[in-house]
Amino acid sequence: MQASRARLFKEYKEVQREKTADPDIQLVCDDSNIFKWTALIKGPSETPFEGGVFQLAFAVPEQYPLQPPQVRFLTKIFHPNVHFKTGEICLDILKNAWSPAWTLQSVCRAIIALMAHPEPDSPLNCDSGNLLRSGDTRGYQSMARMYTRLAAMPKKG
Amino acid sequence: MMGDHGNSEDEYVYVSDDDDDISGVDDCDDDYEADDYDDNRDEFQAVDVSIVTGPSSKVITKESLLAAQREDLVRIMDLLSVKEHHARALLIHYSWDVEKVLAVLVEHGNDELFAAAGVKVVEHDDGPSSLQFSSTVSCNICYDDVSATEVTTMDCSHCFCNDCWTNHFIVKINEGQSRSITCMAHKCGAICDEAKIRCLVGARDSDLAEKFDRFLLESYIEDNKRVKWCPSVPHCGNAIRIEVDELCEVECACGLQFCFGCSSEAHSPCSCLMWKLWSKKCQDESMTANWITVHTKPCPSCHKPVEKNGGCNLVRCICKRTFCWHCGGQTHDFYGCGRYKDKDVEMDTQSAKRDLERYMHYYNRYKAHTDSFKLERKMKKTMHNKINKLYESDTSSKDFSWITNGLNRLFRSRRILSYSYPFAFYMFGNQLFKEDRKKKKQRYEEEEEGEEGEKKKKRQKYEEEKKKNKQLEDDMKKERTIKQDLFEDQQQQFEANVEKLSMYLEEKFESYSEDKFKDWKMRTIALSVTTDNLGRNLYEFIETDLLGCFKDADHKIAPYKSKGVEKASEHHSSLGI
Repeated sequence: MQASRARLFKEYKEVQREKTADPDIQLVCDDSNIFKWTALIKGPSETPFEGGVFQLAFAVPEQYPLQPPQVRFLTKIFHPNVHFKTGEICLDILKNAWSPAWTLQSVCRAIIALMAHPEPDSPLNCDSGNLLRSGDTRGYQSMARMYTRLAAMPKKG
Repeated sequence: MMGDHGNSEDEYVYVSDDDDDISGVDDCDDDYEADDYDDNRDEFQAVDVSIVTGPSSKVITKESLLAAQREDLVRIMDLLSVKEHHARALLIHYSWDVEKVLAVLVEHGNDELFAAAGVKVVEHDDGPSSLQFSSTVSCNICYDDVSATEVTTMDCSHCFCNDCWTNHFIVKINEGQSRSITCMAHKCGAICDEAKIRCLVGARDSDLAEKFDRFLLESYIEDNKRVKWCPSVPHCGNAIRIEVDELCEVECACGLQFCFGCSSEAHSPCSCLMWKLWSKKCQDESMTANWITVHTKPCPSCHKPVEKNGGCNLVRCICKRTFCWHCGGQTHDFYGCGRYKDKDVEMDTQSAKRDLERYMHYYNRYKAHTDSFKLERKMKKTMHNKINKLYESDTSSKDFSWITNGLNRLFRSRRILSYSYPFAFYMFGNQLFKEDRKKKKQRYEEEEEGEEGEKKKKRQKYEEEKKKNKQLEDDMKKERTIKQDLFEDQQQQFEANVEKLSMYLEEKFESYSEDKFKDWKMRTIALSVTTDNLGRNLYEFIETDLLGCFKDADHKIAPYKSKGVEKASEHHSSLGI
């Protein structure tokens, strides 16, 4: 408990100091609870998520960093490895490939990488996975782009 | 044998066709080392050896576990000249199969062998630590600067502070992953040095360090294909190691007999699958069983029930096997699993009723024999008393081991008989072997097509094919009926003999006159031999004619042993520890 608090506090300071280091990621700690974080990440360029801003919710366990944080998308996203309703993410480093050397910041980076390189073979969103697996890249991209427009971009006017 | 109570001609008759009953004598001799059959003994032992080659199973007690494990460790340490913790990591990764380790070594070489098991062998001494003695090191986990004396470097040369290491180990041990605690660094699969783990964890929580040691030790049993815990309840603390790579039934030092394949009671001639299905069918469904069926799925690799704790349908078992939650398939090939497969189930009430009747037929007989077995077990004590009485009375012979042998034969045969009913239930039923029968049919068809394939392709006569199909089905049905008849005949014969033996042994022989007693002895011994032969024939028939046709199916049964289930011998370390 103490160890996780200390580590999170250090990560917090690191985030404050290098706020401008990675413009794609904006990590914010909850005012009253250091175990709750949110992040805003930008959709990577040359993907259907480009131009969108996605919100992530982090729930950090007390045994962090020995156990991985639980992360989910708050913004709706059409992606094979993200549950369409709950926003749950299927990513190996958040499950059995977790290493205590990861930080919240690097988890965000991994999620951005996942957005650019989906794994259609272990889908949480089967519709999305099936589109990709059947080779319908165009169908997948237009669906993903539509949801990015609908959910992850500021409404015009 | 037993040449001194006269009438040697009669006795010679059964000696000649009775190699087995005599070798059976050997295992229940307390004070039975009579000289009078010594001259025959060698010959019989020779027969014995040809049947069973040496003790094929050993009991590993809590005390000998360490020594047994060390044997394998030392072999690997000597052969590969590695340290103990490396040898252990290798053996754990390869399920304690020394041959497998060596095979991988020969095929892929040292580097690949070590890499696969997460073993990093480094030559560096503890030199660098003295170099950094005065400086501080920044730990990449807690981001604290700690003095160089407070950090630990593993074989993979990753260095973190002792506090972080300890926390990591405690989490892993509590998660039940003591056997393969890997380094904390990202993508580093190196197994941590057990001595360092022990030292660090022990400093904070000595109970947990002990637990860690126990887990490491028990890995020898739990990850090892040739070693299994004795399934006794309450647990006797023993494990059994088999020396041969085949299905068998063993008896633990605690007296429990069990099947090494599935750890349930010894059930041959039923195969493990048959027995599992049967006991499940007979057992009332308890709440726990219900919960397990609803919430878990068996891992296709280790068969432990797995509960899903996340959304992802690609589930990873603790044995590291990933499988699809929907279909239980081993690979993550989701393509086929969503397709609806039409199972032609015809569940009209008529067939359900017939099925039930069929089941009750077999169940009643199975139950009757199991009950008889329980009653006959009680005879053991009364028989013992009777034999003691015979000792006291002055008969010419003091050798009554054949009575105990006959009794043991009865116990074994009775069990075989009771298990032969569930065997028949599945063997001649429609539940199992469906796929195999289909395959067999295909094989027939292919064979025939090969013979006149050319002609057939030209003609393409649909009608004829249909007719042929029907005939083929009829033929197979006929074959099945013939086999079932044969099996049932043998079973009935065996059963009749078992009942007769039971009757003989229940006779009040202690009050017989000398002549009558001699007659009773002759009858009992002869019957015991016949029963043994019939039992062996039954097994042979099952193995070759019934199960032998379905080579693809994994129905194997433990071989027939006329001495009964083999008692595992004590493990004696060859290292002398």
